[in-house]
Amino acid sequence: MSVRVSICASLAILASGAMATSAFADGETIAVFTKNQTNPYFQTVRVGADAAAKALNAKTLQYIPTKPDSIPEQLSQIEDVVVKKPDAIVFIPVDYKAMVPGVEKINAANIPVVNITDRSAGGKFVSFVGADDYSLGLETARYLLKTLGGKGNIVIIEGVKGSLTSVDRVRGFNDALKENPGAKLLASQPGNYQRLQALQVMENLIQSYPQIDGVLAANDAMAVGAIEALEGANRKAQVIGINGTKEAVDAIKSGKLLASGDYNGFLQGCVGTIIAIRSLRKEPVIPEIVLKPTVITKANYQPYETPVESRACPSWDEAAKLGGK
Amino acid sequence: MTDLTKQTLAPGRAFISDDLLQVFYRLLAALLICFSLAILSDSFLTLGNILNVLRQASLLFFIASGLTLVVLTAGLDLSVGANVALSACLAGTVIHQTGSPALGVLAALATGGVIGLLNGLMVTALRIPSFIATYGMLWVLNGLTYWYMAGEIIHGFPPGFRQIGSGYLFGLPTPVYLLLVFLAIGTIFAQRTIWGQEIYAIGANPVAARLSGIPLTRRLLLVYAVSGTMAGLASIIFLARLNSAEADIGESLTLPAIAAVLIGGTSLFGGVGTVFGTFIGALILTLVLNGMNLLSVNASWQPLVTGFIVIVAVWLDMKTRRRGQ
Repeated sequence: MSVRVSICASLAILASGAMATSAFADGETIAVFTKNQTNPYFQTVRVGADAAAKALNAKTLQYIPTKPDSIPEQLSQIEDVVVKKPDAIVFIPVDYKAMVPGVEKINAANIPVVNITDRSAGGKFVSFVGADDYSLGLETARYLLKTLGGKGNIVIIEGVKGSLTSVDRVRGFNDALKENPGAKLLASQPGNYQRLQALQVMENLIQSYPQIDGVLAANDAMAVGAIEALEGANRKAQVIGINGTKEAVDAIKSGKLLASGDYNGFLQGCVGTIIAIRSLRKEPVIPEIVLKPTVITKANYQPYETPVESRACPSWDEAAKLGGK
Repeated sequence: MTDLTKQTLAPGRAFISDDLLQVFYRLLAALLICFSLAILSDSFLTLGNILNVLRQASLLFFIASGLTLVVLTAGLDLSVGANVALSACLAGTVIHQTGSPALGVLAALATGGVIGLLNGLMVTALRIPSFIATYGMLWVLNGLTYWYMAGEIIHGFPPGFRQIGSGYLFGLPTPVYLLLVFLAIGTIFAQRTIWGQEIYAIGANPVAARLSGIPLTRRLLLVYAVSGTMAGLASIIFLARLNSAEADIGESLTLPAIAAVLIGGTSLFGGVGTVFGTFIGALILTLVLNGMNLLSVNASWQPLVTGFIVIVAVWLDMKTRRRGQ
């Protein structure tokens, strides 16, 4: 089903630039804003939102910029949505600062909006649902350092410089390193969340450091890129990534990747949408849910092998226990 | 008719000697960067690192070399990165479905070539300026790739296939052999064949070229098809090197490829430049990143350094060119 939905979505994009697709019949309409079609993370958010809407007999309307993370495009999609007036909005800003005027437009139109994933710097929201990048980085790095016995030569591969996610994840990595004085940070270099760039950064660092024991990558694509570079040079190091993508779970299963911090897009999509619908139905909601970090390792990867399409959203009682404040 | 052809080609020969001078300056710039890095970093001037830089430069060179021919005709191909992404995703699927790397390679080259040919048709038959035609193609390809991949990642390819990207032959990385082969083919084609010389003539003065009997349409179609096919080749190297393909791999490839062509001394106004110069351009861009990684330059400064070097390189080019005239 969700495959067909995304096909419809993409065709609509090809046809018209800005797009909207209705997935399920009857009930309230929830507009879901995500950043792009390329990052598997946002696909899991959309699947989660669709699953929650279906379970509660509502329908979703997906808004995705055709140019990934495009600020002007998301702004024009907001203008579009203010005219169409869906019952509620689940919103991931493409940029947490630049989209504040857009959020204010939604507020002015009196459409209830739930903020998920990246916390907006301003505007009024029913609730915020997200993962904490800092503790995700901290916990995943702690796991790697524990595996290495608290010592060794460590390399950090950063994401897009200045992006909120990368800044917080790298801060978490660094704090975990501070807790382990036996570990030495050799270099912290940018991979821009890109696989190829991470591969090349790692190939270059291998040239100058004869011994690298651990690699902390700010996302899974870069972690897997780094592993390719290490394998190509016949070197062995423990590597961790963040996002919990299917590729990362496969790599954990085969022993290539040590761990991946689970950003849990599916749950964020589920819970954000459930809260939006509950607020419309005048049921109590929680103003802020920050999901506790989960580190996916060889010991607990099995449930993540289930494709997101066949996972079920948690009930409201379960969701409220996931990290409500 | 033959006399006329000779007349238009005569200034072409003059361009080559000027081009040789430009290539010499480029080589000097690259050596200067190497010299500085050798002083600053112990690990720069090692056989391992030199091979590493050449292997990294090869991917950029494949894309940029085809693009050089397009720029020589005073055109531009903005779709190369998007072409790499779609070709890689289709080739990856073919290898997974059939288990045959050979069919995958064919699929990548065919996809790339057909896209190039379509670009050529838009430029010649529909007379759309190449900038607009290929910009439109970029979006069409992105749309198709996003739709086709739907946020998924294709990964895991046979070890034999992966040798193309990450293997060694007599101590040299496989992509470096391909780089040398295509550098030779490109140089001989552009400088030593009638078709190559006709491409220079078209860029220098399209009206004179048509009047002297050069089949403009067929040469332009050839140039765009070659650019597309080289993007297809680059996609194979990408797949074999990174062991995976996803929809957004192309975005970070287009601008560096254009930069490599321009730093290499090929003029956007056509008729001036060499494939060898483009190789030097790709080498300079790769050296800069390699050097910054080896010296552990702070991630925040890296884009600034890259931008500075691109501007200085092109400025030096214009300065030496003026002196040459």
